[in-house]
Amino acid sequence: MTSVESVPSTSTQVPAVGAAPDGPPQRKQLTKAERRELQEKQRAAKAAATAAGAPAKAGNAPKPAPKPSQGQNTKASTPAGASGSTATASNAPATAAKKAAKSGKEVDTQLVDKTADLEAQRRHQTRIFTHFVGKKEGGLGAGIKGEIHPAIIRLGRQFADMKIVGANARCIAALVAFKTIIQDYITPQNLTLARDLTQYISPQISYLVSARPMAVGMGNSIRELKYHISVVSIDMPEQDAKDHLCEQIDTYISHRIVLADSVIEEYAMAKIQNGAVIMTYARSSVVERVLIAAWTRGKRFSVKVVDSRPMLEGKNMLAQFVKVGIPCTYLLINGVGSVIAEVSMVFLGAHAINSNGSVYSRAGTALVAMLAKEHSVPVLVLSETYKYSNNIQLDSFTKNELAPIPDPRTSSRRITTRDRLGNETDVDDETRNPNLQSINPLYDLTPHTHITVLVTEVGLIPPSAISTLAGLRDKDKGMQLSV
Amino acid sequence: MAQPPPLLMLSNDQTDAIKFQKDASKFDVISAYKTFVNDPDISMPVAAMQSLSELIAQTEIATMFELMEAVKDAATKLKRHYSHNSVSLSAGCDVFYQFISSLRDFGQDFEGFKSHIIAAVREYAQNTKQVKDTIADNVDAFIKDDSVILTHGYSRVVVNAFLLSHRKGRRISVYVTETRPRGLGMRTHELLTKAGIPCTIILDSAVAYAMDKVDMIMVGCEAVVESGGIVNAVGSCQMAMIAKAFNKPVHVLAESYKWTRLFPLSQYDLPTHNDHILSFDLVSTPPTSGSNSPLPGTPRRHHPVLRTTDSIPNLLFAAQRHPPLDTTMSTNSMSNVMPVGQAGRNPEVDYTPPEYITLLFTDAGILTPEGISSYLVTMSLRSESS
Repeated sequence: MTSVESVPSTSTQVPAVGAAPDGPPQRKQLTKAERRELQEKQRAAKAAATAAGAPAKAGNAPKPAPKPSQGQNTKASTPAGASGSTATASNAPATAAKKAAKSGKEVDTQLVDKTADLEAQRRHQTRIFTHFVGKKEGGLGAGIKGEIHPAIIRLGRQFADMKIVGANARCIAALVAFKTIIQDYITPQNLTLARDLTQYISPQISYLVSARPMAVGMGNSIRELKYHISVVSIDMPEQDAKDHLCEQIDTYISHRIVLADSVIEEYAMAKIQNGAVIMTYARSSVVERVLIAAWTRGKRFSVKVVDSRPMLEGKNMLAQFVKVGIPCTYLLINGVGSVIAEVSMVFLGAHAINSNGSVYSRAGTALVAMLAKEHSVPVLVLSETYKYSNNIQLDSFTKNELAPIPDPRTSSRRITTRDRLGNETDVDDETRNPNLQSINPLYDLTPHTHITVLVTEVGLIPPSAISTLAGLRDKDKGMQLSV
Repeated sequence: MAQPPPLLMLSNDQTDAIKFQKDASKFDVISAYKTFVNDPDISMPVAAMQSLSELIAQTEIATMFELMEAVKDAATKLKRHYSHNSVSLSAGCDVFYQFISSLRDFGQDFEGFKSHIIAAVREYAQNTKQVKDTIADNVDAFIKDDSVILTHGYSRVVVNAFLLSHRKGRRISVYVTETRPRGLGMRTHELLTKAGIPCTIILDSAVAYAMDKVDMIMVGCEAVVESGGIVNAVGSCQMAMIAKAFNKPVHVLAESYKWTRLFPLSQYDLPTHNDHILSFDLVSTPPTSGSNSPLPGTPRRHHPVLRTTDSIPNLLFAAQRHPPLDTTMSTNSMSNVMPVGQAGRNPEVDYTPPEYITLLFTDAGILTPEGISSYLVTMSLRSESS
């Protein structure tokens, strides 16, 4: 729930990433003189960039910094003479970021460079997962032609930094951003809204995809949005058309997500007996909602929250349960085998449901489902129907996504380990050990044979029957539900 | 007061047997049901539909909303009265309710609406024989000459199918389980031997022993559930599991009014399951740990519920349901049937998951378990959107 709440704040400024609350403490090492020196060099670089590079646009995509600028930065930091070149090199862009926040352009580029470097390094080393390795060359939104609305830039940043996670949260955030875009959009002369708006939206979508691959549910909702745009009557006045589209978006969110969740709540609650022991995995907005509602309505049960690195999302859900008073046990996924014998049923969320009934969800879900099946524990997957995808996936390998390397300067998700002396070192700090490469697939596929029932807003459905559902919906609406 | 509308469902002699109240709220749906279910050709769900339809015929209610409420109340009364055996009955009530909800286009013509329902149900009841014959025709293609078939309990559809194949000249022999405690297998045996089909009753526990001699399993069911599995007399699940182990096909014969929107996650998720079934007697001191509290670390779900001695109603209840057991039995003397108190702790029906079922023969065609669940999903969506 917390990730959704971060959406409504209205600032459209490009966030100064370097100004994150956990800013590096090494900043104090640079003296005033050194900082001034740095500033001069960067102003010069900026002038050079402006002369050579593309003209500036309002609310534009950050561009990759020209090489000389970066080279100068590194040179500037060396005379500063701080020990541990890594620390300072990462320091300089951060300080620069603070200074350059007002200029609003170079902030992301410095950061982007660093991350791009790491990515390039990693890509060079990666022998597996090359088909879905991290970000593209040049960083967020590179190479995308067209104006990108500030709301989308902001959203892209939030996606890339994993500030908004979860299928429902991402979808709702994207749709809300699209509402802003639509309201701000002005149809150019001699063009129709129906045709031009679709073209205007496409680069926005590409930008979001460059931050993180498109979520299935998000894709379905955008496809439906494009359909609604395309059928806007040419006679409709512009503001009316925009209001109509925003209303369609609101209806989609309300019917396919919010109300759907209430219905799923009812169906799932009916399966919870008093005294049940329910196992959950990571964090699913639907599962959280169902269990809290069941407890509030007077059902008494206990929950085993299973969690896994690196995301550790289960902690968020655990906090919500404890707040309401549900007796919980928290364990990491390697402990599931020990507790499964005590469990009455397993509640899981989903990112997407494939047409053969297999479930694409947070990595680790398949493990939990398989173990439950082995122990004859029923596995209930709670999912709205808008997450249905006509694809068939047979394994977790062909389609997946890697968790981004957490940026130690900005991310609070630093993964550390202790050595024998108790010193903390960054596990994912690849600049220290170029031979070490961490790979964190975010998703996995649970075969339909391991799932007992899919709880959707149209009822309890066995996984094999999910494709009938899609066929019906298509006929009713007269359009494709998904690719 | 005017005479009640003519009783379209019952024949004259049946009319005399029952006294109906003029006021709909005093309509006794239970006694109506009992009358209808006496007909040997009518199964429980159809009898339920008939009694609900009779309620509509009898009532003087004039609004749609009140009528639906009255039907719902009567259905609940029926279900509650027969709670130990209610799955097929529930199915019948639900099918009826869905049917009348889907008839929306009668507008102001309330009487027309009522007579339409009454006529439809009457036709339905008359057609049950027809439905059974359709199914039997489909089944016949799957029965080879000289087949040995194993069946469980007593199912009108299954017996009908065997008789039809026999009449067509196929030579079949049938094993039927005793199907304790109600001993329904005896009825099957009686009907088949009367028709000249060789039939042997085997012990419920001899199913694995006999499985290698059998070519296929053929059973009826109380209800087909949404997962594609079935609910049938207890013993069906283990028969299906043994058949799977021996690679013998399991065929289920089910009329379409038996399909329900139930989705049991396990045996204990059935509506017929309650805390008393498979419970244990409290022998000595109460337990020290709070085994009923939902704390983490509590031993497994379905842990035995410790009770004090059986309450009187349970004993009477158990006695009603079963054929007369030897009542002179005390717990000390030897007996070859379980005492009444113990008998009450046993289930009447069980759930067979879809993975053990090969094919379902219905009046809508021959379907796999996955096919039935697709069909059910489609049907329920259509009725929701209408």
